[in-house]
Amino acid sequence: MNGGPVHGRLSRTSAAPGLVEHFFRREYGRLVALLTRKVGVRHIDVVEDAVQSALLAALTAWTTRAFPDDPSAWLYRVAHNNLIGEFRRKAGRRRILEQALVDVVESVNQPEPLGFAGEVRDDLLRMLFVCCDDAIPRESQLVFALKTLCGFSTGEIALRLFTTEANVYKRLARARDRLRAADAGLQTPPLDALKSRLPSVHRVLYLLFNEGYLSANADLAIRRELCDEAIRLASLLAEHPVGAVPETFALVALMHLHTARLSARTDGAGGLLLLEEQDRSLWDRERIGLGAEWLKQSASGDVFSRFHAEAGIAAAHCFAPSFKETRWAEISDLYAMMERVDPSPLNIMNQAVAVAEWRGPEAGLALLHALAPPSWLSGSYLWDAVMSDLHRRAGKRDIARQHMDRALASAPTEAVRALLRRRLTTPAE
Amino acid sequence: MPKYLFIQRSAPRTPQQKPQQPSPAQMQEMYAAFNAWKEKFKDNIVDMGGKLKAGGKVVTESGATDGPFVESKEVVGGYMLVSAENIEQAIAVAKESPGVISPGSSVEIREIQEMPGS
Repeated sequence: MNGGPVHGRLSRTSAAPGLVEHFFRREYGRLVALLTRKVGVRHIDVVEDAVQSALLAALTAWTTRAFPDDPSAWLYRVAHNNLIGEFRRKAGRRRILEQALVDVVESVNQPEPLGFAGEVRDDLLRMLFVCCDDAIPRESQLVFALKTLCGFSTGEIALRLFTTEANVYKRLARARDRLRAADAGLQTPPLDALKSRLPSVHRVLYLLFNEGYLSANADLAIRRELCDEAIRLASLLAEHPVGAVPETFALVALMHLHTARLSARTDGAGGLLLLEEQDRSLWDRERIGLGAEWLKQSASGDVFSRFHAEAGIAAAHCFAPSFKETRWAEISDLYAMMERVDPSPLNIMNQAVAVAEWRGPEAGLALLHALAPPSWLSGSYLWDAVMSDLHRRAGKRDIARQHMDRALASAPTEAVRALLRRRLTTPAE
Repeated sequence: MPKYLFIQRSAPRTPQQKPQQPSPAQMQEMYAAFNAWKEKFKDNIVDMGGKLKAGGKVVTESGATDGPFVESKEVVGGYMLVSAENIEQAIAVAKESPGVISPGSSVEIREIQEMPGS
C-alpha cells in the first residue's frame, strides 16, 4: 500500500487492506462518468479535477470526523459542488455569463437520484464509448479508459503499461484535446448513437485485459487487477443492449477462461511455469464455469470473430484433463479459423505449436518454414523460442542451439529467460 | 452441391437470470454447444453471411412498402449460406446451431435455385 499517514488511518478503519483504494477508484470512475454525462465530454478535465478534489476532501473529512452513512452520496455531493463552483469561477473571470456556462450550472444543479445500478452502468458504458472515439489516437484510448473509468492515477498507469508518467500524461492530454475540440454539444451523446464504435470498444477492452494477462510484470496482484477491470467493463457491456452481441459474449468468455489459469502460471517465487508444468487443480473452476456460460451464449449468429477463436482455444485448455490429452487438432483448427478472420503470422506460429503436439515437431516446422515471418516476428524471442523448441524435438540440435542463444539474448525479463532456459535445454525425447 | 440460405430469427432478448455455478457436466455441455456451432464455420459455410440491418423494404407489384416482415415480434438476426447434400442435411446443420436450440428462435431454410450457366 502506498498511503501516507492520513491514508493509513483511514485504512485501519476499513475491513481489508486495499479496500479503500478499490472503493475510491470505483467511485472515481462512477462520478466522472455521471458528471460528464451531465456537462458534456468537452468539460471532462474540469469534471476530473472536481472528482479528484472530492476524493481528497473525503480522505481528510472521513479520518477526522465520522464516516458518512452513505459515502457514495457524500462524494457525489462534494464533487458536484466543486464542479458548480469551478464553472461559476470560470464564468466570473470572463465577466460575461456565457449562456453555455449558465446551462451547465443549471444542468448540474438538477438533483441526481442516486443508487440506480442501471444508470451507473449506462454512464460507465457511455464513458467507455467516449474513450473509443475514432479521433482519439489508439494508444491514448487505453490510457484514457484506465484514467477515467478505472480511476488509476498517471503514476499507476505508467507502472502498469511499462512507460513513463510523462508519456502517460502526454497521451491523456491528446485524448482530452481531441474531446474538447470535437464535442460542441453540452450533452454526451446517447449510447445508441455510439454503437458504431463497438469494434473499437472491444479492442480497448481486449487490450486492457491483455495488459494484465500477458504482462511481463511479475506482480500477480497488479496483473489480476487489470484483468478484473477488463472483465467488469466487458460484462457491463455484454449485459447492455448496446453491446449484447455474440462477439462481446466471446470476449467475456475468453477473459474468464484465461483468468481461470492465471494463478497457476507462476511458481510462487515469481518464476513462470509452462502449461505442461502447471498444477491443473489450481485452475479456478468457478471462472471456468462463468467462461463456459458466456462461451455458450457466444455460439450464435453468423459471425465467427477472433474472440470466438481465442475463447475456443482457451476453453480447449481449460477442459483438457492433462497436457497430453489436450485437443490439439481442435486448437490447430481454431488458429486456422482465426487466421481467416484476423490474419497474422502469430496465428500460424501458434498453430505450428499446436500441430507439433498433435502430429509431431516436423509437421509444426513445415508450417513455420512455409511462413515468411516479418522482421518484427523473426526478431522476437518468441519466434526463436518456438524454432528452437521444435528443432530440438526434431533432433536438429545445431539449429536449435542457434535459436536458443538468440531467444535467451532477447528475452524481455529474467523470469521469461529462466523459463526458456529450462524448456530449451530439455533433452529431446 | 445445392446451397441453402439460412435466415435466422430470434425473439427479442429477455433479461438474463443470475446463473448458478454450473456442474462439471453442464460445463461440458456448454463447451460442446460452442464446438457444435463452431464446426459450421469450418466446411459447410460458403458465405459467412452478415447481420441484416433493421428495416428495409418489401417490394410488390404495386411498389415498395416498409413491411410487414413475416411477424413483427420476430427479429431477423442474420443470414448464412450453407452448402449441403440435401434439405435433410441442411436441417441437420441448422439443428446443431444454437440459434435453434435456444428458446424463441428459429432458422428458416431456403434452397437457392442455381442460375442457369452458373
